[in-house]
Amino acid sequence: MKDTDNTETLVERLRNPLTCREAFADVVKEYSQSLYWQIRRMVPSHADADDLLQNTFLKAWNSIENFRGDAKLSTWLHKIAINESLTWLEQKRKQENLTVDDETQALINTIEADPDFDGDALSLELRKAIATLPEKQRLVFNMRYFEEMKYEDMSRILGTSVGALKASYHLAVKKIEQYFSCR
Amino acid sequence: MNKEDFPKIPRSDGLTVPPGYFEDFNKRMIASLPTRPWEEEKPRVLPRTWFQRVKPYLYMAAMFLGIWCMMKMFDLMRPHTDLSSIADNPVLANAINNDTFFYDYCASEVEESDLIDALYEEGVDPSSLSDFSDSYRN
Repeated sequence: MKDTDNTETLVERLRNPLTCREAFADVVKEYSQSLYWQIRRMVPSHADADDLLQNTFLKAWNSIENFRGDAKLSTWLHKIAINESLTWLEQKRKQENLTVDDETQALINTIEADPDFDGDALSLELRKAIATLPEKQRLVFNMRYFEEMKYEDMSRILGTSVGALKASYHLAVKKIEQYFSCR
Repeated sequence: MNKEDFPKIPRSDGLTVPPGYFEDFNKRMIASLPTRPWEEEKPRVLPRTWFQRVKPYLYMAAMFLGIWCMMKMFDLMRPHTDLSSIADNPVLANAINNDTFFYDYCASEVEESDLIDALYEEGVDPSSLSDFSDSYRN
């Protein structure tokens, strides 16, 4: 209840031109971590995630007047972050002229050489397994498995039905299980 | 490693960030937010007072009053020559009716040629006037 009140107050402050900047600073502090991890699990390196997180907040700030408060603030921000990540991956693929398989291999190579990783061998294998999933499935899996997000919230962010999300997650889990069984 | 291992994997994925990254990011991000149009300082517009609103009309009225006063002053400075008052002034009336006075002081001021022209314009033949003929001869 307190969180809801805080968010409502934050949204009201964002709508007021006099308090908007100060309120947005609070938004950055409040959501930078959750947005970072969401982006980080989609892109290969910390540097890419840092750039995309910055772009996400800049985009949110530049279109703050379009946020009418119909959706939750977190949903709106996560939507922007996901769009930024997917657009970035698409551009990278086009720029480097990579096929989906090439991209998966490049992602696995980056994961293996990632200096910002201190998990065990099993966690590393899981990251590699996730890297083999198609982008949308990877996104659904990350949101559900690591962030433990409800399907209803995921549906609002991704604009996909709950049934389709459940099916997508189920498929992702099957593929990861298959990956482990082949090892 | 087999598929039974998957549910046992902890939900933290082992990813890390450089120490103090989020504090640093928040500061960087907040400092780099561009200025939005509504934040740009607008010049303060002070409300117009009653006097400021009335001032132009007041000045215009003062200007007309000044012109009227000036015209009035010129009118007062102008010498009054009201000819209708000559008939009421017995001294002037006697002087005008006195032929000697008239010819000595008034007629000498008039050019005869102008007088003859004026009479012709009026349709009067100057030679038909006995007084004029006499004075002309004189």
